Amino acid sequence: MNAPDRYERFVVPEGTKKVSYERDTKIINAASFIIEREDHTIGNILRMQLHRDPNTLFAGYKLPHPLQYKIIVRIHTASQSSPMQAYNQAINDLDKELEHLKKVFQAEKIRIENISL
Amino acid sequence: MDGVTYQRFPTVKIREMKHEYMKFELRETDASIANALRRVMLAEVPTIAIDLVEIESNSSVLNDEFLSHRLGLIPLVSDKAMDMRFSRDCDACDGDGQCQYCSVEFLLNVRCEGDQTLDVTSQDLRSADMAAMPVDFEIGRGFDAGGYDHSNDKKGIIIVKLRRGQELRLRAIARKGIGKDHAKWSPAATVTFMYEPEIHINEELMETLTLTEKLNWIESSPTKVFDIDPNTQQVVVVDPEAYTYDDEVIKKSEAMGKPGLVEIYAKDDSFIFTVESTGAISAYQLVINALEILKQKLDAVRLSDDTQENDEQFGELRQHMGGVS
Repeated sequence: MNAPDRYERFVVPEGTKKVSYERDTKIINAASFIIEREDHTIGNILRMQLHRDPNTLFAGYKLPHPLQYKIIVRIHTASQSSPMQAYNQAINDLDKELEHLKKVFQAEKIRIENISL
Repeated sequence: MDGVTYQRFPTVKIREMKHEYMKFELRETDASIANALRRVMLAEVPTIAIDLVEIESNSSVLNDEFLSHRLGLIPLVSDKAMDMRFSRDCDACDGDGQCQYCSVEFLLNVRCEGDQTLDVTSQDLRSADMAAMPVDFEIGRGFDAGGYDHSNDKKGIIIVKLRRGQELRLRAIARKGIGKDHAKWSPAATVTFMYEPEIHINEELMETLTLTEKLNWIESSPTKVFDIDPNTQQVVVVDPEAYTYDDEVIKKSEAMGKPGLVEIYAKDDSFIFTVESTGAISAYQLVINALEILKQKLDAVRLSDDTQENDEQFGELRQHMGGVS
């Protein structure tokens, strides 16, 4: 009867930002990114990609509560970089990786089909 | 900092590809990408499924909501789902089934007149749109694996059975959706991946065993991973992927007083995927769509320009204040 609508799990409510940025008040080059309506799918690939960046001193994410449909990604970087820069870099690199993966997948399909002919 | 990149270049090898089944190897990436891909295939690749049912007449033994639920679970061919709109985002309509961008209308009109029980199946659903028909499983093409002759069977998924005088008339609207919303929209039957195992037999230690000991050791594995070479009587790995990371052979070698007979590692950058689709889209298309959806999700979590500008202003403000940090 009073169950929340199912779409609340993946539709960002009007007037809410998908990603908000919160700078740490005490530590320089540390910040949290609050990503609305995302889960481990995005959280974990971002975290692992950030770990590949040597300027990132810390990267982690949490899903605060299963019924709060948001994740918090926390990044702490060295002084040469900034959390925002590391975050953008991670997304760009992942994007390129997936684009590459899609290309090799399509090429592999063509290769397989030519063999079976 | 431009030009710096920590990108990876994964490789793919397809082992087997059928319409609704696929097995492939994914290498040179990590478990986070493999798992994200699996999660997206299960819950975020869109398909179309019946979402709204208007029952005009139902004198069957099943009640209206029972029937509606069954109709929702019928897989529909969803090749065009990626290009369709979600009903809630569609500004061309109010989601009433007349809109070409977001919905497909189905009609079902069956009445049993004979003495025989009449099966109402997914094949009785009529739609104006040929691109969104119920998935055809092609039962009734000869014999199945058990040798049973299906050639006289009616195709399709049974929705309800009618006896004389009973009828079912309804209008159903199929919409685009994702598995996260309701499992009926999930295009995946199963998606699994495993780490590729790397098995090293310590040949020197293995040769200290007698043939019966070797056979005993081989038998300790619940799956057929090892075997005896009939010519040399050496233990050989016949199927590394049959290994289920159960550690039984390692425990066995310890119990036999020969620890280190075998060493098994999971290669943490190498995955073997098995993808089975419901038939709504092909297994191959499922993977491609999942990659596309994942890319779209990443684009959606990019920082907006105003967030970045606000932070830059904040940084300047801090500098004016004498760099209190």
